[in-house]
Amino acid sequence: MIDESLLYRAIDEAARLGASYAEARYHSLREFNFSLLNGRVIGGAYSDSTGVSVRVYAGGGQGFASTSTISWESLLDAVKRAISAARTSAASRRSPARLAPARLGRARYSVVEKKPLDSVGEDAKIATVREALGSVEMKRGDMEVESHTVAYRESIEEKVIVNTDGAFVASRVPRVEVFYNLTGKHGALRANRWRELGGSGGLEVLDGMRLTNTIQDDVDSLHVNLVKARNMEGSQRLDVVLSPEIVGLSVHESAGHPSEADRVLGREAAQAGLSYRTEMSEGERIGSEQVTIIDDPTIPGSMGFYLYDDEGVAARPRVLIDKGILRELLHNRETAASFGVESNAASRALDYRSEPIVRMANTYMAPGDYSLDELLEDIKDGVYIKKYMEWNIDDKRWIARYVGLEAYRIRGGRIEEPLKNVVLEINTRDYYSKIDAVGKDLSFEAGSCGKGEPMQPLPVWMGGPHVRLRSVEVKGI
Amino acid sequence: MIEDLESLVKGRVDEYLILVSDSRELMIKLANGEVSTTQSWRDYEVSIYLAKSGRIAAASYTTHDPRDAIRKTVSMIERLEESPLYAELPEPSGREKSRVDPRLKEAALQGDATWVLEELELDAHPTAAGMISIAYTTRRLVGSNGADLSQEATSFNGYMRIFKGKSSGQWAWTSTVYDKVKATRAIGQAASLAEECSRLPHEDVEPGTHRVLLGPMIAANLLQLAASAANAGSIILGFSFLQNRGLGSRVGSEVVTILEKPLDDSMPLFTGFDDEGVETRDKVIFDKGVFKTVLHNTKTAKIMGDVTTGNAGWVLPRTFNLEVAPGGLREDEMLEVLGDGIYATNNWYTRFQNYLEGTFSTVTRDALFIVRRGRPVACSSRARLASSMPSLLSSIEDLSRSQYDIQWWEVEEPVRTPYVLVSSMKVSRGASVGAR
Repeated sequence: MIDESLLYRAIDEAARLGASYAEARYHSLREFNFSLLNGRVIGGAYSDSTGVSVRVYAGGGQGFASTSTISWESLLDAVKRAISAARTSAASRRSPARLAPARLGRARYSVVEKKPLDSVGEDAKIATVREALGSVEMKRGDMEVESHTVAYRESIEEKVIVNTDGAFVASRVPRVEVFYNLTGKHGALRANRWRELGGSGGLEVLDGMRLTNTIQDDVDSLHVNLVKARNMEGSQRLDVVLSPEIVGLSVHESAGHPSEADRVLGREAAQAGLSYRTEMSEGERIGSEQVTIIDDPTIPGSMGFYLYDDEGVAARPRVLIDKGILRELLHNRETAASFGVESNAASRALDYRSEPIVRMANTYMAPGDYSLDELLEDIKDGVYIKKYMEWNIDDKRWIARYVGLEAYRIRGGRIEEPLKNVVLEINTRDYYSKIDAVGKDLSFEAGSCGKGEPMQPLPVWMGGPHVRLRSVEVKGI
Repeated sequence: MIEDLESLVKGRVDEYLILVSDSRELMIKLANGEVSTTQSWRDYEVSIYLAKSGRIAAASYTTHDPRDAIRKTVSMIERLEESPLYAELPEPSGREKSRVDPRLKEAALQGDATWVLEELELDAHPTAAGMISIAYTTRRLVGSNGADLSQEATSFNGYMRIFKGKSSGQWAWTSTVYDKVKATRAIGQAASLAEECSRLPHEDVEPGTHRVLLGPMIAANLLQLAASAANAGSIILGFSFLQNRGLGSRVGSEVVTILEKPLDDSMPLFTGFDDEGVETRDKVIFDKGVFKTVLHNTKTAKIMGDVTTGNAGWVLPRTFNLEVAPGGLREDEMLEVLGDGIYATNNWYTRFQNYLEGTFSTVTRDALFIVRRGRPVACSSRARLASSMPSLLSSIEDLSRSQYDIQWWEVEEPVRTPYVLVSSMKVSRGASVGAR
């Protein structure tokens, strides 16, 4: 960790040089990783990204500077560069950048590693992953996984944030992640299954992944796609049941991203794009009564866990859609000032060289009270999409497309024959409005959320239960 | 400093490479015609590659003191196993090649680029959103193979999205020197696309198969993805549609030639040496539609029974600058040759449904023109284009004579590309259906 007095000295100096607000963030990401190709270790290493950022508001503009050299001389240099950058920004501003008042934290917290990351050696971690992989049946009938790659990453993220408004937050969040890609082959046909698993905590996160079962289930999905599934002819209007995996992704893409207030204000227009919420107001209906979507950084064990954001604001759950009605946006202190509200602590940065911007943490659809069987039982003719392999959405977050890796026809309330590459292409209002029943089986998937320039891929969870949509168009490719 | 780092690994491993990159970068971001933030970085990045008894460790450090992490990695390598990717480091044949624009270097070192904002006259565009980046970087590679190579370079790149009402246009530029003409032309292109779109009536693109003219922004995105499939790392790891297509096989139409040009010092990823210290060379990936080159480092070359092409990145190969060869179309005749179809100017969110088959879809953004009898008659908001890489490459009918240097959020490495005329692409559905 850093000598915290250096950070205080930096913000004091920034204030002396004319900053109306200054913040200094010590940010360290230390990682250990290894990769396997077809069960053999490709390589591994420890890496380290550690430095300090200084962000200031001066003369009505915002400036950001960072340094990986931790000494008073380099922090002073960063302060001067940040002030100079703010003055560059100020020159073109029609109105000065402002920060909303906020209740700032003075706290230290850390995520407990129930099974500490350093409790076993690197070789034991490699052995755990490889043994899990070795127990997977990579051949299913005529389909086999011709190659597979698995990457393990553990990280410890440590931050100390101070600012001239009085915040002091020191945090330590360890995370464990596993990424894998399976390449299935059946005759001349091939398909991939890519997956990311992860959470915050110690090696208990790895145990909780149940890697053998999880990977086996994905091998089986490739088998279904490549061997058993048949193309769906044309397009049809049917009832559709979506799995938690797809619901989680969809709420991230079409509720979470458009709720980012900086996007609504156009600040990300040239990069991550715009938002339909620029043209819609809080209180407007976008979905059925069954749809409630929340972003919550405080979920224990989650990838996006934090208790204070990178401006030192105390975190809390944010209700983005409440029973189908648009509610709050995700804010940092600058966007909050533009909207005349308080920040709800959505300011996050990837590392010391990244500016904090408005981000999601863990976005999910609140569960209802249906079992999967109950969701299926009154569907005469429908489709169940269990896993996806391709998705995208336009830059206003209005029309999304999800292509099923594993999907089935539903007939008479029962899951029947598998369907190949089913496409659901739907606009956001239709999607949330057609949901008439929500399952009680909430689960989360880990992901890296992309935003920012330079790109800041941040750890998040995306979650939801099974949901049922009535009468939507689905088609084969 | 680099000698201190060498002392941590020398004698403790069989082979090593250490790459130290020292950079100064200034980035100005705009939104709604104002500077939203200006960022100034001083980065000192150390990358190490270690090998011992066939075991491999590779990592990057952006920290004031990487020594502890390097020591842990040196000690950990004993507990790894022989890597299927291991190959002996090659003889260092690389050449030093630098290009520095003093004005950019000075701006990056001083952390002040106010003059760029003034020269590009962005005040004239009150709706502009985008980014301008100026960087100065020095790199030095040393290794147990005797490599000791350095490079000094500057870069100047950016992009602007300009709005007019509900219409918008976006364009990018990239260069190793300050090029006011290139930057102002790109900004002007973005503005004129927004203007032209705003003058036309709105119409949704009909779902179905269309003739499509891809502007340089979208051509750069899609053809960079096509070229990345020739990376041996993508082939080995199962992310390439070229996995089962041998060299010499036809993957595109006769007009498709894509080159990889690390020696072209007009674009920022130029270099005379790769990350193993091997001499780089310009090469043809697809030559008149025929797959000619797999991009290798020594590791992937050993696995695939080939030789390195001087494309080493850190462990896996990488691509440097790309160039799509020009075709025969004059810009003023492109729409006429398109006839009935659509002209897509930008895209994002290209996602593969199946990397091995190369099937993908991508979503257009900004101006999307509906063209009939060679004339733009309407502007659509968004649409989704779906195809596969083999199908896209085979459907390229012609390209423009003019080329543009593109690098932006959706095009990470610089691509010099013309407009690309595609005889058929599927529009899966007008994304403005039920639109806001």
